[in-house]
Amino acid sequence: MQASRARLFKEYKEVQREKMADPDIQLVCDDSNIFKWTALIKGPSETPYEGGIFQLAFAVPEQYPLQPPQVRFLTKIFHPNVHFKTGEICLDILKNAWSPAWTLQSVCRAIIALMAHPEPDSPLNCDSGNLLRSGDIRGYQSMARMYTRLAAMPKKG
Amino acid sequence: MNEVDDKGSSCSTGDLNLCPICLGPFVQDSYLDKCFHKFCYTCIVQWTKVVAGKLSRPLPSVKCPLCKTENFSIIHGYDGNSFQQHPINQDFEHSFVLTRGHKYRLQCYYSEPGVVSDIFNASRYWKSRKYLQPNRWLQSWLRREIQALMQEEDVDVIVHHILGVIDSFVSRNEPKSHVKIPETKGEELKALVCDAARPFLGARTDRFVNEVELFLASGLNIEAYDAVYMQRLGWSFPGVTSKASEGAHSGQTTVIPYLYIFDADSDGPD
Repeated sequence: MQASRARLFKEYKEVQREKMADPDIQLVCDDSNIFKWTALIKGPSETPYEGGIFQLAFAVPEQYPLQPPQVRFLTKIFHPNVHFKTGEICLDILKNAWSPAWTLQSVCRAIIALMAHPEPDSPLNCDSGNLLRSGDIRGYQSMARMYTRLAAMPKKG
Repeated sequence: MNEVDDKGSSCSTGDLNLCPICLGPFVQDSYLDKCFHKFCYTCIVQWTKVVAGKLSRPLPSVKCPLCKTENFSIIHGYDGNSFQQHPINQDFEHSFVLTRGHKYRLQCYYSEPGVVSDIFNASRYWKSRKYLQPNRWLQSWLRREIQALMQEEDVDVIVHHILGVIDSFVSRNEPKSHVKIPETKGEELKALVCDAARPFLGARTDRFVNEVELFLASGLNIEAYDAVYMQRLGWSFPGVTSKASEGAHSGQTTVIPYLYIFDADSDGPD
């Protein structure tokens, strides 16, 4: 308990200090609860998510960093490894491959990498996974781009 | 995951002086035997337990949290001469995990010597022959000190040995203590304790003897002594030594108020 607080507090200080270090990630701690964080990440360029800003919600367990944080997309996203309704993310480092040397910041980077490199063989979103597995790249990209525009871009006008 | 390599720079900003698990300064430097990545002893032992707990059986090896190399033992307690090696598959339940009090003492040994020597006047202690009065806290103090330094729980034999050396010195000197110059008394006793402790404490013996002298000269009980010591080091209390010393590390004294806020609300819903 104490250990997780101490470590999150250090991450908090690091985030404050390095605010501008990574313009693609904006990590914010809840005002009153250091176990709740949100992140705004930029969709990686040359992907259907380019131009979108995606919000992530972190729920950090008390055993952190021995246990991984729970992360989900709050912004709707069409991606094979993200549950379309709940925003749940299928990513090995958030489950079996977790290491206590990961930080919330580096988890964000791993998620950005996942957006650029989907793994259609372990899909949480079957429609999206099937499009990619059947080789319909254009179909996947246009669906993903449409949802990026609908959900992840500021409304015009 | 390619990120593993990037990550070192993310939170620790390339600061190799921070444990990758707790992100604090290293306490009880410990190394994995193949890749030689460094962690706090408690941090890497806890992680090993978590990994073994998932499979509910002892593991022959553990993957390094930084590079994923399989490692078979943890090397710790290196003092310049010797070290201890703990196999991963061996049950850690029986190994001794330091308490906060032990950790704070251990961290004192990483601080500059003499931080409290101006408060506790050793030469006055010898001059006034206070050493002839028994110190009833000495045994407990020695036990904690030696446990911290050796990272072993069962140190009773060594404590007994050192106490014996001190007691016999005092009783030997009692009858005609006025003959010698007080300062040489101090040096004499220190040399004796030094000889008694060196086989166990190795390179840390000299500092240990100085700490013993300071504790005796203070005339304080352990609690009061700790309070003075930590105040001088700028640490708030044993519970947060790692955090507070880390604050000093980065030169930010402003972290202190936050620590109290976090501590205050941890008392609430727990």
